[in-house]
Amino acid sequence: MNYEPKQITLQEWDRRYEQLQQEQLCEGDYGGPLGRHVGDGDHRLLELKYDNSPAALKLWNFLLTEEQRLFKAQAEGKKIVGTMKDLGTVPVMVYSLENTVAFYPDGAWWIPCVMQHSAGLLKIADSLGIDESFCPVRAMLGAFVTGKHFPVPDQLICSVGATCDDFSAIAQRLEGLGHEVLWWEMPHRRRCEVDEAGVKLPGGFEAPKSQVEFVKSELERIKTVLEQLSSQALDDETLSAGIKKANVVRRCLAELRQITFTAEVCPLPALEMLIAEMLAIHYCSDQDETIVVLNELIDEVKARVEARKGILAADAARIFWVNPVADLQVMNLLEECGGRICGTEYLFSHAIDLIPEDIPPLEALARMAIADPMAGSSVDRAQRICSDIEKFGCEAVLISRIPGASHCALEGQIIGEIVRGELKLPVIEIEVPPVSDSIRPALRTRLQALVETVKQRRDK
Amino acid sequence: MICAGIDAGSRAIKVVLIEAGSGRVLAKAVTDQGVEQNKLALQLYEKLLNDNDINKKDVGKIVATGYGRNLVTIADTTVTEITCHAVGVRRLVPEVKTVVDIGGQDSKLVRLDGSGRVRDFAMNDRCAAGTGRFLEVVSQRLNVDLTDLGDMAGESKEPALISSMCVVFAETEIVGLLAAGKPKEDIIAGVQSAIAGRIASMAAGNVDKPAVFTGGVAMVSGMRSALESALGCAVSVSPEPQFTGALGAAILACDGAD
Repeated sequence: MNYEPKQITLQEWDRRYEQLQQEQLCEGDYGGPLGRHVGDGDHRLLELKYDNSPAALKLWNFLLTEEQRLFKAQAEGKKIVGTMKDLGTVPVMVYSLENTVAFYPDGAWWIPCVMQHSAGLLKIADSLGIDESFCPVRAMLGAFVTGKHFPVPDQLICSVGATCDDFSAIAQRLEGLGHEVLWWEMPHRRRCEVDEAGVKLPGGFEAPKSQVEFVKSELERIKTVLEQLSSQALDDETLSAGIKKANVVRRCLAELRQITFTAEVCPLPALEMLIAEMLAIHYCSDQDETIVVLNELIDEVKARVEARKGILAADAARIFWVNPVADLQVMNLLEECGGRICGTEYLFSHAIDLIPEDIPPLEALARMAIADPMAGSSVDRAQRICSDIEKFGCEAVLISRIPGASHCALEGQIIGEIVRGELKLPVIEIEVPPVSDSIRPALRTRLQALVETVKQRRDK
Repeated sequence: MICAGIDAGSRAIKVVLIEAGSGRVLAKAVTDQGVEQNKLALQLYEKLLNDNDINKKDVGKIVATGYGRNLVTIADTTVTEITCHAVGVRRLVPEVKTVVDIGGQDSKLVRLDGSGRVRDFAMNDRCAAGTGRFLEVVSQRLNVDLTDLGDMAGESKEPALISSMCVVFAETEIVGLLAAGKPKEDIIAGVQSAIAGRIASMAAGNVDKPAVFTGGVAMVSGMRSALESALGCAVSVSPEPQFTGALGAAILACDGAD
């Protein structure tokens, strides 16, 4: 390595960018200095700290150019599919087809943070009767109304049922605005009755065979619609190839997580890891480039681990983080307080598990879909968290609540009790609004106290 | 050598000076918090030194804690109030297993292991319903001095039920209760019970004994018994509860200076 890994500001990145350009920086067509995105209204970027590697630069540029990528795809005649409340199932089907692009309209929940409310999306949602008692994903409604953040999709597909009732309400409001939605139902994953046939799921859970069959029948409906939309057959061979490619992304993420979370010195910051993990959901609208971006990150962390270099102190407290944050800056804050992330469960762990390749593809996708942590009980989710905590050697757990999000409002307490009971680890809960500046001192106290607690426990 | 702990809380600043070797408390002082937090902390610290004929040079290390800890420029380092209250209470009540700290704008429940180290903690800081601020609002609304709240609550025949978890809405409830002719005593007892209920919710049935109550609100009479009812166990009030955070900070300053 010819530079010291560290976290730098946006201004520092732009200076480093000039220097890297002189050293023949290799970028995709979405490359450029990070600072240009502030001109697009992404003011929060000025408040964040970033990893200083070219791989991280590529990751950020990839993320922040998705909007242009989607508009370009539509202009080229590709079919755009909005896959809502779907953390990784329908996108696999969509990317199995030629000339179709899936994206994740729910991702608009980060726009109020990144643009520091300047886009006014939450105000639009307010005006539509979806106020702050709902999850910040209500920003998606505003994005559909303004049409500025993504093109109006050719097809909207939304899962309902066990996934998230807040989102169902928001998506129904969206349909009320004239955006037709193809609804598919996700049942609450239950335990098998005595003598009821069960199916093993990715991630280690089990579901009744009848439930898997039901989800499969729902995916059959979606398959028919996608075939009509794309004028292509989504046969088993095509879908199997799509699953194999999705698994390439998942293997990359599994490797990146394993190296980063178990490294002696943290090789990649929490913020970049969060963004990288999010790529599992819908590939930031470009599956091939996702693989390129992830492989560069993997090369970077491998080089850092080999060189015994990292971006944080070696004694940083090893924290397991549950649920994504609405304000990205809080990921930086944990590190400022002396913590590092050594394990995550951002509500889409099923999108990181490998999809079975040795069974019929639609059956495989159905099994993966019903393994969604949101579709099962909180106890199931807590047990998976406990298992990952042990795997990655975490010392404490931080549960981040999303204000107004009903799928995690009470779950934190259940997860906390199970983790405390089984692993005897300290657990704290925080609630993070899209722009958390006003509660930063309170958040800092909690994070700092958690780190102090971990370090006191080490002294035993 | 002397070490200092400064607890820059949301409602008051506290300073404690201790002798490093013996751990003996040499002096302590408190003043109201204000806008210029650093200036107020510095003034209090210097006054304490002057009043006790202590030279600044004799102070080896200063640890700041509390909500405003990062604003105290004279501090050598900062430690959170969770750790400091645990250390401070442990010094005064060595057998303590659970510390309940109710301050002006937040409340905490800290569980300690057998060695006195923090094992786990829970904190309420997004809602004033479980904090001293709630009592202030009520005393203002009822035109009752804070120091009289406990005695009045003790005279309650039938504590009022305050159902809201939001102080603003609770205040509206209080207006309604007054309009309905509910005695002030019952309203105060109801408010104390509501605050204690918030702490019990944080504890989620997991309170290791003995439990010790600290922080400024521990000085409000009636709160201890309200807590005992809500937690379902005996709760003792820490000696000098307002100073345990600053005391813990001073002890940690000594540990760091050793």
